[in-house]
Amino acid sequence: MENIIEVKQLMKSFGSKTALKHIEFNVRKGEIFGFLGPSGSGKTTTIKILTSQLTLSAGEVHVFGKDITRTKDFSHLNRIGILTDNSGLYERLSVYDNLELFCKLYDVPLKRIDEVLGEVNLLQDKKALVKQLSKGMRQRVTLARALLHKPDLLFLDEPTSALDPKNTLHIHDSLRKLNAAGTTIFLTTHDMSEAEQLCDRIAFIHEGEISALDTPQNLRLMYSDHSITVVTEHNGKEIIVQDAAGIEKINEYMVNGQLQSIHSNEPTLGDIFVKLTGGNLQ
Amino acid sequence: MTFSMRRFQAIVQKEWKDAIKNPQVLLMAAMPIMFTLLFQRMGMEAGILLSMPILFVLSMTAAFVQASMVSEEKEKHTLRVLMLSPASAIEILFGKSFITMLISIVVVAISVVVVGPTLTMDYLWLVLMFLLALIMFIAIGTIIGLISRTVQETSISGLPVLLIFMVGPMFAPMLKNEFLETIVSYLPTDHLIHALTEITKGNGFSAIQGDFLNILIWTALSIPACLIIYRKRRFD
Ligand SMILES: Nc1ncnc2c1ncn2[C@@H]1O[C@H](COP(=O)(O)OP(=O)(O)OP(=O)(O)O)[C@@H](O)[C@H]1O
Ligand SMILES: [Mg+2]
Repeated sequence: MENIIEVKQLMKSFGSKTALKHIEFNVRKGEIFGFLGPSGSGKTTTIKILTSQLTLSAGEVHVFGKDITRTKDFSHLNRIGILTDNSGLYERLSVYDNLELFCKLYDVPLKRIDEVLGEVNLLQDKKALVKQLSKGMRQRVTLARALLHKPDLLFLDEPTSALDPKNTLHIHDSLRKLNAAGTTIFLTTHDMSEAEQLCDRIAFIHEGEISALDTPQNLRLMYSDHSITVVTEHNGKEIIVQDAAGIEKINEYMVNGQLQSIHSNEPTLGDIFVKLTGGNLQ
Repeated sequence: MTFSMRRFQAIVQKEWKDAIKNPQVLLMAAMPIMFTLLFQRMGMEAGILLSMPILFVLSMTAAFVQASMVSEEKEKHTLRVLMLSPASAIEILFGKSFITMLISIVVVAISVVVVGPTLTMDYLWLVLMFLLALIMFIAIGTIIGLISRTVQETSISGLPVLLIFMVGPMFAPMLKNEFLETIVSYLPTDHLIHALTEITKGNGFSAIQGDFLNILIWTALSIPACLIIYRKRRFD
């Protein structure tokens, strides 16, 4: 499978502080790659390096097969869409005017503006001045702008952090559609259910190191204690370990027709997150 | 180095929509004209009457406004987005400068129309000197804007720089410090003030040769300086 991003031994330090400690990962073509970690773990720093907004201290980074540490040609950025907390908007201009500028810079037909505004559920606010918009609306305008030129690779740094549940769902739908149409997505988030719902693979980053990387399904299995929860008429809810005694017990419940509910206990991504980072969400 | 007219125009168009809604720009454009009209009523000498709006326009309407607009793009993180788009350094910087330049030219033209008829002088040299100085001041404004992180920083650090440029030549002789006077004698504003005095007196190119050369060198140096600093700011 083709890799869109290849990161080897990436290290970044700010003065004496090391933000990224020789991390390694690949992002495959067509996947939604989740980058999860607590605040200050190095998510934004990684995105900035991958999008040539920040130079790295050591290591190797290839994007679209191009060694971005050794090039002065940034033309590959034209195939990339970026949403970070430092993607600004022109406050005195309308939503439309903001998008019009970038349509022209990317040589995209102006009719695309309505399409992307639809994707982020902002068609009604096209004429509104940006300075009159709420935080969540701005975030959606920024996302719309990142989608204008139909990028092959999309970097989203906490794209739904300021959104209400309804708009979050709307954006998730749009991202899935976009991904189905071929856009590879690199997503950071604090929202575990967002990661679970959207991501094909997830990397957990903690204090500048990647502590786990796999599909959500495999991660859950890997960190599972393989116990089983059963609910019976007599004993109510019970957690049973998978050993000879456990099998015996379940067998007995089944033979006697007492079993009301049974399921394996896989940890949620949130549980794994807490386990790996020793911290809370946020 | 690429230059696309389409992208340049797109940036100019954005800049225009933004400028006409920016009270600071409008104020800085209106002030020199108001002062000229006011001083004219007070019966000020025509030569000074013309130099005054020109110097004001160069330092405030051109350099200071440019610095504020560039630092606003930094503060609001819109410059970052432009840098990540296909727009090149030249397209972005020229596009940003175009409207500032246009407004400055219009304001000075109005001042000349107000004052000019009372003067007999060589307009060609006035126009040339002004345009050259204008390019330089916009480049200096851009540099100040690129160096500061916020609009407020521009006011705090940029304004004093511009003031030294403008009032240095007027006050340095009074301080009777040789070192200071030598420094000031290299300032383009010192030469500009001298040249404007000569031109409005009706003197020709021979009287302003040295001044012309000085400003030409400053202009020629400020543009690459501007591009180099811009490229440095590419990375956080
Ligand atoms: N320009 C900088 N100068 C110095 N230190 C920095 C700089 N940028 C980031 N850091 C440090 O690098 C570490 C990683 O920061 P980063 O912004 O990548 O975290 P993050 O994972 O995006 O956090 P959050 O979830 O809060 O956005 C932090 O400890 C931060 O203090
Ligand atoms: Mg971050």
